[in-house]
Amino acid sequence: MDRSWWWRAALILGVTLGSVWYLVPTYYSFFVLPREQRNDLKALAAVLPRWAPSATQRLSLGLDLQGGIHMVMRVDTRTALEKRTERRGVQIASAMKDRKLGEVDVDADPEKLQLTLRPKDPKTLDAIEKDVLDTYRDFTKVNRTGDALVLQLRDNQVDKFKEDSVDQAMLVIRRRIDKFGVGEVDVRKLGTDAIQISLPGRQDPEEAKDLVGRTAQLEFRMVDDQSTFFKDLLAKKPPPSGSDIAITSEEGFQQLKGKDQQELLAYVKGEVPAGKEVLLECKEAPNSAKNTCSSYITYLVEKQVPLTGESLSGADANFSQYGEPEVDVQFDASGARDFGDLTEKNVGKRMAIVLDDNVTSAPRINEKIPGGRARITLGRSFNKTNDEMLKDAQKLALVLKAGALPAPVTTGEVRQVGASLGDELIKKGSLAAVVGLLLVVVFMAVYYKRSGLIADVALILNGLLILAGLTAFGATLTLPGIAGFVLTLGIAVDANVLINERIREELANGKSARAAVDQGYDRAFWTIFDAHVTTLLAAFILFATGTGPVQGFATSLIVGLFASLFTSIVVTRAIVTFFVHGRNAQTVSV
Amino acid sequence: MQIIKHKTSIDFIGKRRPAMFISSLLNLAIVVGIAAVGFNYGVDFAGGTVVELKFNHPVSPEEVRHRAQSAGLHDVSVQRIGATGDNDYLLRLGGMTQLTGDTAAKAETAIKGLGPVKTFHADLENGIINFRAESKQAPDVVKKAVADTGTGVREVRELGEAQGGSGWDYQVVFSGMADRISAGMAKGLEKPDFIQQRVDYVGPQVGKQLRNKGLMALIYASLAILVYVAFRFDFKFAPGALVAMVHDTIMVAGFYLVAGFFGREFNLTSIAALLTIIGYSVNDTIVIYDRIREEMVRFKGKPLPEIINIAVNDTLSRTILTSGVTALSLVGLLIFGVGEIWDFAMAMLVGIIVGTYSSVYIASPLTIWLDERAAARAKATRPGGSKGAGSNKPQGGGKDKPKPKAAASAS
Repeated sequence: MDRSWWWRAALILGVTLGSVWYLVPTYYSFFVLPREQRNDLKALAAVLPRWAPSATQRLSLGLDLQGGIHMVMRVDTRTALEKRTERRGVQIASAMKDRKLGEVDVDADPEKLQLTLRPKDPKTLDAIEKDVLDTYRDFTKVNRTGDALVLQLRDNQVDKFKEDSVDQAMLVIRRRIDKFGVGEVDVRKLGTDAIQISLPGRQDPEEAKDLVGRTAQLEFRMVDDQSTFFKDLLAKKPPPSGSDIAITSEEGFQQLKGKDQQELLAYVKGEVPAGKEVLLECKEAPNSAKNTCSSYITYLVEKQVPLTGESLSGADANFSQYGEPEVDVQFDASGARDFGDLTEKNVGKRMAIVLDDNVTSAPRINEKIPGGRARITLGRSFNKTNDEMLKDAQKLALVLKAGALPAPVTTGEVRQVGASLGDELIKKGSLAAVVGLLLVVVFMAVYYKRSGLIADVALILNGLLILAGLTAFGATLTLPGIAGFVLTLGIAVDANVLINERIREELANGKSARAAVDQGYDRAFWTIFDAHVTTLLAAFILFATGTGPVQGFATSLIVGLFASLFTSIVVTRAIVTFFVHGRNAQTVSV
Repeated sequence: MQIIKHKTSIDFIGKRRPAMFISSLLNLAIVVGIAAVGFNYGVDFAGGTVVELKFNHPVSPEEVRHRAQSAGLHDVSVQRIGATGDNDYLLRLGGMTQLTGDTAAKAETAIKGLGPVKTFHADLENGIINFRAESKQAPDVVKKAVADTGTGVREVRELGEAQGGSGWDYQVVFSGMADRISAGMAKGLEKPDFIQQRVDYVGPQVGKQLRNKGLMALIYASLAILVYVAFRFDFKFAPGALVAMVHDTIMVAGFYLVAGFFGREFNLTSIAALLTIIGYSVNDTIVIYDRIREEMVRFKGKPLPEIINIAVNDTLSRTILTSGVTALSLVGLLIFGVGEIWDFAMAMLVGIIVGTYSSVYIASPLTIWLDERAAARAKATRPGGSKGAGSNKPQGGGKDKPKPKAAASAS
């Protein structure tokens, strides 16, 4: 028994105990909590022993096993781009008229994302070209033939627009689902133009499609800043213990701030004055991941909706001549009239821009805004760079566009699994795994006797490692994942068969027990290694290209192959060495 | 205990010609079959809607089919899954939404009945109709008019006044096919006698994308493994491994082709099975290659066919046992797996058997053939140089013969 053996033994023991420790939350979530609380992290945290890992470190089930809805939405950025090109054409024509540069005929070619400008008076084309290229920087000049100027949307603008559209759609979808109160939803980008959404526990695919695929609702509503509602409420009713609800002063207005959206809404519920409503604004932490809210701020707004996004015709982020980021908003004819009236009546008040019942921004109305063009100035912020300020403006513009020019979101795929089916599949899946495991274990013990038993120990450790590994990587267990798990158990034993067969051969060649074991392991090592690497290559490619359940299979396979390498080469060898070297055995039982 | 005795001496190499012939014939038949008939693509790849219904009383497939027919679901396909007593059925229809060429025409008439329409476009793929009306319409009225034609409408959206005031744009969004199936199957019943277990919709575009992605994944995986084998072994070995890999993949594809005639579908899980087989096939081949390489060093100068025969015989018990235990682990899945998972386990089983066969009868003999060709070419270009066909050099000693690349491209 040399020193390296003790090191290895310690490593094996550490890995085993670590895996068991890591699987404690998973064990509690499946076998201690009742079925309906399986996804309740708070309930899990309450029952977990103090020494256990946190409740979030548990193996969660894929949608196919726990029931729920998986959907992929495709964002039709192309249509939105074409519309944007057309819209720009109209804007340019009217801007040229406003600036007294003469009348211009603008033809849009949405297919090519091109605009052709033909002034009535060809002599003005020089001036127009200069002005247009200066003002509308998202377009570039393609060519100028005689009396016509052809412009095209810049490629980088196209890419940016596509990215923005998907981000916007994600933001809208995430906020909507958050409000729905669905636990553990997952919204992520899939490729460049699709969004993947997981809704565990949801059962109605039509409802989900409707929720996610609906056009964003944009509204303009007046904020009631005269009221001392929030201050009074805080004086009258203390916030629930443990909450961080407190008064905050936004630009001199008294509002509530809190980290927990549901808690804030519950706190104000039933207290809101008639005709008013409390809406929240999501505040993102600086440098936070995209679309995550670090806190929420309350607004007391009028229930009445004087203007909706339907009257909006466009929005663009710019820098003003004073270097402040601003959003240029354009309304259509009837919208312009309504907006003029609204601003006239409410000078000095704040107007909330509400997207799907979330306040996005609440600019103050400084004066009456006629003519259907408004500028929302975001103001200079000294702890932000120009770039960050422009980003804020662009985000607001995006929200406004979501109401005005939404990139249509269409359903790519929807997969729903009923909860009862999920339960049945778990039962069948685990039975299948147990039967497979038992067959292999019995076979190994019968065929290879004591070496077989050692392989069986490794095999069980292997199963433990896979489960712990999947937990550590935050993977979810799916039905194909179980299939992958079973298959890797087979492959893990495969490695032990290679080793044991080799040892038998060496023994048959007249080698001593010790030499046979050493050579058996040494010689089999590269074979096992190669065999694992080739399967790993296939598994990695499957992981990279697959989605949903197939990815679950690939994850199990990958984790399983690594676990198998460890158990077959390190673990069994340490055990066999213990018997053969440590006990100085003259025979080896294979 | 021992199943295969250690010193077998079966002449595998001698049977390589009939084996190759039969394998080639089968492969060819499968490829032709795929080209001519094609897989029975599931919704993952073909697009469409699948609804799994579990009835609370025994029903026969004929009854389910009959009920679907009488509910107007003419193109629905019905398949039982699981055991007879489960009363579990998959109902599949093309398309994701209720908008079809037929229902679109009805909707068009209904919409035009409300007032003059300037443009009308039905997007069957997304289940959306866009139209421009001359005058402003109430979305509710439009919704009712279209719904009255018997097609489920989810929403009518007003998109606003068109540019230049040439009309008003509207969008009609149709309900999904799953609703139609469930509603149709429950028609005339007080309470549905089934529960909707599962719904899958896949859009045709996404289906096509997934299919391309799956194919690319297979190609990438094969290439990656080939490069690895070429890097770890002699280049001489790579073509053999590749041919065995392609052979096994085609055979498993053949399983899915045949299974298609029995209503089993080719879907994402099938791609997973094919990819796993690609990995596993090489796995199996490598066990033998490793031994060939070892013996080549040990029996320097012995003709390659003999060495390969020794290597294959020596590893026979390993080859059969490793495949055997992996197959053993699948037994549980074969007993308790339903639907895709059973198909997966079966495909893996086929792959393991075929993979074992191909490692012995295809991959190894092919190495001989390539070696012979290389030697023959060496002889032709360098008269009197080589010892003749079947000569063998241990790995690394191949510098004096034509570039292995040439051998690879000859395959």
